[in-house]
Amino acid sequence: MIKLTGLTKRYPGRTVTANAVDGLDLDIPEGKLVALLGPSGCGKTTTLRMIAGLERNDSGTIEIDGKVVSDPSRGTFVGTDKRPIGIVFQSYAIWPHMTVLQNVMFPLRVGRPRVSRAAARERALESLDMVGLASFASRPAPDLSGGQQQRVALARALVRRPKVLLLDEPLSNLDKGLRDRMRDQIRSVQQQLGITTVFVTHDQDEALAISDDVVVMNHGTIVEHGLPQEIYTFPRNEFTARFLGISNILGGVVDAVTPDGVVVRVGDSVLTSAKVTGAGKGDAVSVFLRPESFRLSRKEGPWEGTIEFSIYHGDCWDYHVRVGEQLLRVRVYREKVGIAHGDRVFLSPDPETAIVLPQQPAAPGPADSPASSHPVKA
Amino acid sequence: MAALDTPTRQDSAPPPRTDGGRWRRLLNGRYLAMTISAIVVAYLALVPVCTMLYASLQSNFLGVGPSSWTLGNFPKTFTTPGFGTLVANSFVYAAATSVICIAVGFGLAWLVVRTNTPCKSFAQAAALVPMIIPGVLNTIAWSLLLSPGQGPLNHVLRAVGLPVFNVYSLPGMVLVQSMHVVPVAFLMGTAAFSAMDSSLEEAALASGASPVRTFFAVTVRMARPAILSAALLMFIQTISNFEVPQLIGVPGHVYVFVSQIYAALQQFPADYGEVGVIGVFVLVIAAVGLYLSRRVVKGRGIQTITGKAFRAQVQDLGKWRWLGFACVVLFFVVAIVLPLAMLLWSSVLPGYESPSLHALHDFTMSNYSDIFRQPSLVKSLKNSLIISVSAGLVVTLLCAVVSYITVKTKVVGRGLLDGLATVPIAVPSVVMGVGILYFYLVAPLPVHLYGTLAILIVAFVTITMPYAMRYIVPGMAAIKDELEEAATSSGASWLQSFWRIFVPLMMPSLLAAFLYSMIVSFREISAAIFLYSSGSEVVSVQIYDLYRNGTYPVLAALGILMVIVLVILVVLVQLASRAVGIKQRR
Repeated sequence: MIKLTGLTKRYPGRTVTANAVDGLDLDIPEGKLVALLGPSGCGKTTTLRMIAGLERNDSGTIEIDGKVVSDPSRGTFVGTDKRPIGIVFQSYAIWPHMTVLQNVMFPLRVGRPRVSRAAARERALESLDMVGLASFASRPAPDLSGGQQQRVALARALVRRPKVLLLDEPLSNLDKGLRDRMRDQIRSVQQQLGITTVFVTHDQDEALAISDDVVVMNHGTIVEHGLPQEIYTFPRNEFTARFLGISNILGGVVDAVTPDGVVVRVGDSVLTSAKVTGAGKGDAVSVFLRPESFRLSRKEGPWEGTIEFSIYHGDCWDYHVRVGEQLLRVRVYREKVGIAHGDRVFLSPDPETAIVLPQQPAAPGPADSPASSHPVKA
Repeated sequence: MAALDTPTRQDSAPPPRTDGGRWRRLLNGRYLAMTISAIVVAYLALVPVCTMLYASLQSNFLGVGPSSWTLGNFPKTFTTPGFGTLVANSFVYAAATSVICIAVGFGLAWLVVRTNTPCKSFAQAAALVPMIIPGVLNTIAWSLLLSPGQGPLNHVLRAVGLPVFNVYSLPGMVLVQSMHVVPVAFLMGTAAFSAMDSSLEEAALASGASPVRTFFAVTVRMARPAILSAALLMFIQTISNFEVPQLIGVPGHVYVFVSQIYAALQQFPADYGEVGVIGVFVLVIAAVGLYLSRRVVKGRGIQTITGKAFRAQVQDLGKWRWLGFACVVLFFVVAIVLPLAMLLWSSVLPGYESPSLHALHDFTMSNYSDIFRQPSLVKSLKNSLIISVSAGLVVTLLCAVVSYITVKTKVVGRGLLDGLATVPIAVPSVVMGVGILYFYLVAPLPVHLYGTLAILIVAFVTITMPYAMRYIVPGMAAIKDELEEAATSSGASWLQSFWRIFVPLMMPSLLAAFLYSMIVSFREISAAIFLYSSGSEVVSVQIYDLYRNGTYPVLAALGILMVIVLVILVVLVQLASRAVGIKQRR
């Protein structure tokens, strides 16, 4: 449905090495919701705006519904108003001088084919009904709360029945509870209509929760592209792993390569990971451990440490455990009665969920920086 | 990476469609509107300036004999005895006026917009009313009120044992001019304070800053760009104003640039070289000032109208609000009631007499009926109306498109366009009038504008353009890009989104610009006095003629009538603005 080939956007006055979007290739199948996930400045919003035609790409092509809408090499550029799209912006962009209904009717009244006022009204009300706001139709738009305004924006984006729905961080202006509800609503409406959707976000939880496919971006290129569960469970890239908030990163050395997987030595402990590519015996690797990938015990385990800090979340506890010079974040889902600050504990890492990647020069993303990547000294 | 591995299947893609050729793209509404506006602005801005520059570099501009290029006018003018005093007078006059106007105008604006000072709508109207008293009338009224011998205010001063205030002096000029320009500062202050997000002030209060501290550390600091650009406008308006230097300065032998230019034009043969040189001198001063204010304001243009609901919170002044109220009332009395009362008094007496109960025995309405007995006066009222409404409409539409170009696009040369639209600020109205007049007399154009109302409309569009831009640009900048993008992505063409999104959202700024341009065109004399001809007289010119002939009573009656017409226009526009304003959350 959407096909981007060699998509490139230069920042004016900068060299080619600092492209906002740098030779991006992406194919988004019909009816799918694809999340563009990455830190700010990674080019995800620029990509979305180029799909919308709000920015012009310097090279590469954009195809929507089998039709090339932008190809600078041929001088092809279809204006935003001629593309079959609907957009929801981060700031809602609800026109404050109109009522809710007028906002939603607008696309039908200005676009082609022109829809009669009565029919436009009916369709706008249908669209508002879909987001549960039909009863607010006659209100002045600024009277609504932020979440309601964003739902109006969604109704407005969909009322023309576009081929493509573009969502530019639609949830980041909303507060927590509202964000989850709005996210679920976007997903349900999207699936109900089967509309091809691009969802730009910097929030990995959002991206994982809502999308069919996640595209992780950094420095204007695609770092990784895959199913949410793949990306989450086995990121194939250090940037992705860091960006997905895997907070414990340890240095290790490959001990042996066996048919079962790769045996990695981390401190005094040995892990066997089935999913390591391109690492031979003696290679330095990074081992990524999620907070929930540890077993915490008072009696035994390969790593010994002290509790420095604990946070109660209701369904779980987060502990910061000092092991040598390293501070590990550990999450435990059953309440460990009697574990207190300063207590001596033992940690066993779970080899099943450990992610082992060949060591790369650190490329910290602007949005997240894990506490430390020094190897454990235990 | 999955996508990277997917081979691109060229065969499945349909042949790319080229959506219109280059020419068709250039012929759409957006490019057309932008191109035409840019050309019109360049034309309007450059004609008077170039005529003036040309005149300053000609040995015998518009003279009988041959003329050649020369630089001689510059040393000749600069070494004229008294040139130093002329410069000093002009600077003191304009600078003192700007400082007073900023303090009073922004102070009032803050009281009205950001505090709970009582009678807000009254204050808003009161601060607007001086705008509709034409400069000529204001100047004449004050010269009557404060004349050293006869002035009623000086009678009061004498009665309480204070020295008499001689209006025919530099302080007198500053006082009278301030009364005239404060409303402009007030309007700019109102715009600045209304656009300010009050949560910034609330944050300062919550940080433990006292309200006074907050006012100076946050409110004033945020208003600083607006204050600077307003101060600059005051300065330039004052330096190019005609009536105060002419009617008050000249009798007191205080000469400033404008009165010197006028004198140079009045002598025979007129010294166009000197006019050009002083004009260029003022142009340079204004250009430097603009450059400096631009540097300070740069990068401070904050987008404030977002898609989110937005409202300005008012500050509770407690019992101090009555002091604020007193300030507003004092200003109202001084700036409006006194001169209007003076005019009203003069208009109902057969000849000028000091206010007293005894003089009321001569009460008459004959001055008013005299106006309608003179067809030329009635015609001048009609002419003024046509000119002011047309000029207001043209300039508002023009500036709306131009501000779109300069604020919302990345078109090459938009900075130049913005500069061009600002150029007329630096051209004293007198020079503007002469420049336009001689251009249209001399230039080989297919249509002869001289002797028509059109030449006056051209002049007033040019004069008011920079000010209209000052109203419209912040309004344009305040509209978040996403509001237009949402329209475009809804399938709206540029003209549709301009008409249905920008125009309604900017309606307050557009109306302010229209109102201002219309009022200036209705009341201004400085340019009109050179451009009218028999049949195209305007009211302000008629008033000046009556003043020179000493027919004060009819002058006063015509002035009152002029004020009434302006009041009606202003009320109409205000009502219109109330009907279309943004629906705010209450």
